[in-house]
Amino acid sequence: MAESSPTSAAPGGHGEFLLELRAEEIPARMLPGAARELATRVFEELMGRGLGPREVETGFTPRRILLVLKGVPARQADQEETLWGPPVGAAYDKQGNPTQALLGFAKRAEVEPGAVQRAKKDKGEYLMAVRTKVGRPASEVLAEVVPRVVAALSWPKTMRWGDGIGPWVRPLHGILALYDGEVVPIEIFGVRSGNVTVGHPLLSPEAFSVSDAADYRARLAERGIVVSPEERKRSLAERMAARAAELGGKLVEDEELLAKLAAICEIPGVMEGAVAAPAMVLPREVLTTSLRDHQSAFTVEREGQLLAVFLTVMDRPDDPAGRVRAGNEWVVAARLADARFFYGEDKKLALSERATRLEHLTFHERLGSYAAKSERLVALAERICEALGWQDEMSAVHEAARLLKVDLGTEMVKEFTSLQGVMGGIYAREEGYPEAVWQAIYDQYLPAATGDRIPRGRAGLAVGLADRLDTLAGMFGLGLVPTGSKDPFGLRRAAQGAVRIVLEGGLAVDLEPLVQEAVALYGERLRRSGDQVLADLQPFFYDRMRYVLGLDGFAYDEIEAALAVGGLALVDLRARAAALHTVREEPHFLSIVLAAKRIANILKDAPPYPLVAERLAEPAEKALHAGLEKLRRDVEEAAVAREYERCLRRVEELAEVLDRFFVEVLVMAEDEAVRRNRLALLQEIHRVLSSAAKLTEMVVEKKKGE
Amino acid sequence: MRSFQELILRLSQFWADQGCVLQQPLDLEVGAGTMHPDTFLRVLGPEPWRVAYVQPSRRPADGRYGDNPFRLGKHYQFQVVLKPSPDDVQSLYVQSLAAMGIDLKVHDLRFEEDNWEAPTLGAWGVGWQVMLDGMEITQFTYFQQAGGLECRPTSAEITYGLERITMFLGLKDSIYDIDWVPGGFDYRSVRHQEEYELSKYYFEVADVAFVRQQLEGQEREARRCLEAGLVLPAYECALKGSHLFNVLDARGAVSVTERVAMMKRVRDLACACAEAYVASRERLGFPLLKSEVSHG
Repeated sequence: MAESSPTSAAPGGHGEFLLELRAEEIPARMLPGAARELATRVFEELMGRGLGPREVETGFTPRRILLVLKGVPARQADQEETLWGPPVGAAYDKQGNPTQALLGFAKRAEVEPGAVQRAKKDKGEYLMAVRTKVGRPASEVLAEVVPRVVAALSWPKTMRWGDGIGPWVRPLHGILALYDGEVVPIEIFGVRSGNVTVGHPLLSPEAFSVSDAADYRARLAERGIVVSPEERKRSLAERMAARAAELGGKLVEDEELLAKLAAICEIPGVMEGAVAAPAMVLPREVLTTSLRDHQSAFTVEREGQLLAVFLTVMDRPDDPAGRVRAGNEWVVAARLADARFFYGEDKKLALSERATRLEHLTFHERLGSYAAKSERLVALAERICEALGWQDEMSAVHEAARLLKVDLGTEMVKEFTSLQGVMGGIYAREEGYPEAVWQAIYDQYLPAATGDRIPRGRAGLAVGLADRLDTLAGMFGLGLVPTGSKDPFGLRRAAQGAVRIVLEGGLAVDLEPLVQEAVALYGERLRRSGDQVLADLQPFFYDRMRYVLGLDGFAYDEIEAALAVGGLALVDLRARAAALHTVREEPHFLSIVLAAKRIANILKDAPPYPLVAERLAEPAEKALHAGLEKLRRDVEEAAVAREYERCLRRVEELAEVLDRFFVEVLVMAEDEAVRRNRLALLQEIHRVLSSAAKLTEMVVEKKKGE
Repeated sequence: MRSFQELILRLSQFWADQGCVLQQPLDLEVGAGTMHPDTFLRVLGPEPWRVAYVQPSRRPADGRYGDNPFRLGKHYQFQVVLKPSPDDVQSLYVQSLAAMGIDLKVHDLRFEEDNWEAPTLGAWGVGWQVMLDGMEITQFTYFQQAGGLECRPTSAEITYGLERITMFLGLKDSIYDIDWVPGGFDYRSVRHQEEYELSKYYFEVADVAFVRQQLEGQEREARRCLEAGLVLPAYECALKGSHLFNVLDARGAVSVTERVAMMKRVRDLACACAEAYVASRERLGFPLLKSEVSHG
């Protein structure tokens, strides 16, 4: 099949396709994904039709999604198509004139009868016609592809409007679609494309026509509209930072908030307001949270103190009558007055008095109240301290565990759930509790997300771990094991938090007895035993370990080889993976892994046999036994001391004798006694090889030529 | 500066000019204008509809004895329903703000995603909270489902919080300081005693046993009405039940498990009413479809 090269863009044009979809305000959270999906899908469809563009740009505002393609060929390349007809024998009559069969074929192939050719195929000669399929203009293909892609965009939530039009994310109102300045005729949901767009709905609502992408951007810019979200983000960040500096401070950074502000405006106006003096008595966490959650506003700090000012966005360039500022300040004042009321109410009751009220707050219907949880936390956190030998922290841990959940009953936490823990910590600090206590309360939900730090200090680590183990033991004890994407109690996050606390805090503690203890502390409430809980919880923890260790750069097989050792001494398991990570490229290690796999294969079904050293006869098996005896104690000691790298390095010393053994000795000897004795030797070797990790889990890539 | 009643008058005039039935409040206690049968039932089925009304909305648990400058146990909503939602509904809404006297050339108006859901009504919609200078002034919703039934055609529902808007436009520090009548009676003189006494009643005095008994009675009555083929009385009983439930809740007399069970019963009733309503309109031959009602 021959193919002519696609015609380049029309004379004078650049093969530019400009598409703008205008709709009622699209949710900020959906815009980036939608713009990306639109671009990807249109790009793929065009590629598949021989019209791949050279450049792709996207943009969006709440009211428009933009796609600009550059270098889209003006038309598809022509293609030659070969069609096969009837056998030649049937094509001509006795006089050599074309038959109906030939004429019919020519008609079907859309060629003149004279252009029909003959060619060999299979066993005979057949009629053949070559037809040129003329490539279609880009504009025509775009008109076909774009409506399909737009209608099929995958929104997290869709709606219908009017007589049932849709589904789409919000009502669609306008389509600007130009290919090199010419309108691409498109119709989606009854809306027809054109060469016009509109400005800001309140400030510049009049429609205007545009000729190309550059013109489009320029005309929007005249109206203050920035269609690139990155540009809006940059512009907002720069001007807010500059303003904060003018005020003698710096912006309290919040990437998520910045992205949100950029997504809710098309004119990135910076709005500054003052926080009324009385509200400044509030803790900085409360001010920042209230301003962020309620007003999408940034705060400004100087030397750790917040300034009485907030910065946010307005979808307009200026505030000519001061109404926008006055309105925002009014709302902020009302919100902060609420917060101040909650703060005042909360402080009327000391935390220790509040602790008695946890009786009425349900942790879980079948697991009892938060008062019961607090009691369990005290006991479990103390057990953790004992296990770690943290005697000096005991009293702080006791106090922190007792007060840990008290802030759930405060007005402030009811209003701002994200401040749970933090509020308790602040109130404890203000009541004069020691730093170890209030910080432990403050940090209890850390780490919640991947970028979060772990709690400061030992007390924080102990109560943070205790809280998670208690929740996991209780939920698993009821059989509430998360499956699929369902995890209503956030148990994956709890387990991951526990894993990170243990690993990053370096807590050399075995979680198994602690889980047993956590289950026991529930008493009669749980139907399942500690062993049953562990049977589900261990693999659950292992999944989190896989994730966390994976992020730390461990390879899949290193993790599996370490986890195969079993148990919940997580720091120890990581140490095993780390040792594997260090030695894995060493040549002797590779041959040890291969030997381990071979041994595992041989031993597959063998029951344990006793080794009788005196009966070893062959030099190679004697050498292997001698090698084993030489390092066995040392390997065992290294394993006990958790020096797994040393352990593996000693094991590597067996590489040569093992290789020799397999070359010279036949394990499956005819004589049963000899065979059993050799199997027994390999069983001992296997035990020693496995003392740091299950080496058979390691993946060894055979080098080329091996 | 606009007074409370001027706002009502101007909105009424504006939406009347759009061909809306200027309806009056439902004469029953409801938690929101949406529960008025002229919204909840009329958005169902194929018939067109346009309505606007003020609806006093009672939320017993929100009462603050008249002490809180921002919160009320009973507030007033101005409710508009346009079915099917016209193409220019958003621009009509913006014009209604101008009609209220808001000069949009000097304000910041934004539509932030806010999807409405009322599980007890088997209803949900998609839309925004409309923010004026950072303050939520309106809930704007495209009804997708009500009483468990798909809404075709789709209705647009616009709900203005009247107290908030009046307060905000005057930048008042308290709801009670807004003028009800221009330069005359203020909100305090009209409503404060009621706020105090209703709070006291809902939080402290309501007889739990009596209210519970009434609630059960209303549920029974609703079922009886449905069996008798009377949709609107059945729906009214359901609404009364729903309010009684809110009273019990404010009184702290509803446990967590009980709440779940009660909400399911309310939902089942609402869904049964919705289905019965559509069936009753169908029996009548969907009369509003035939009369070719003109839209302003």
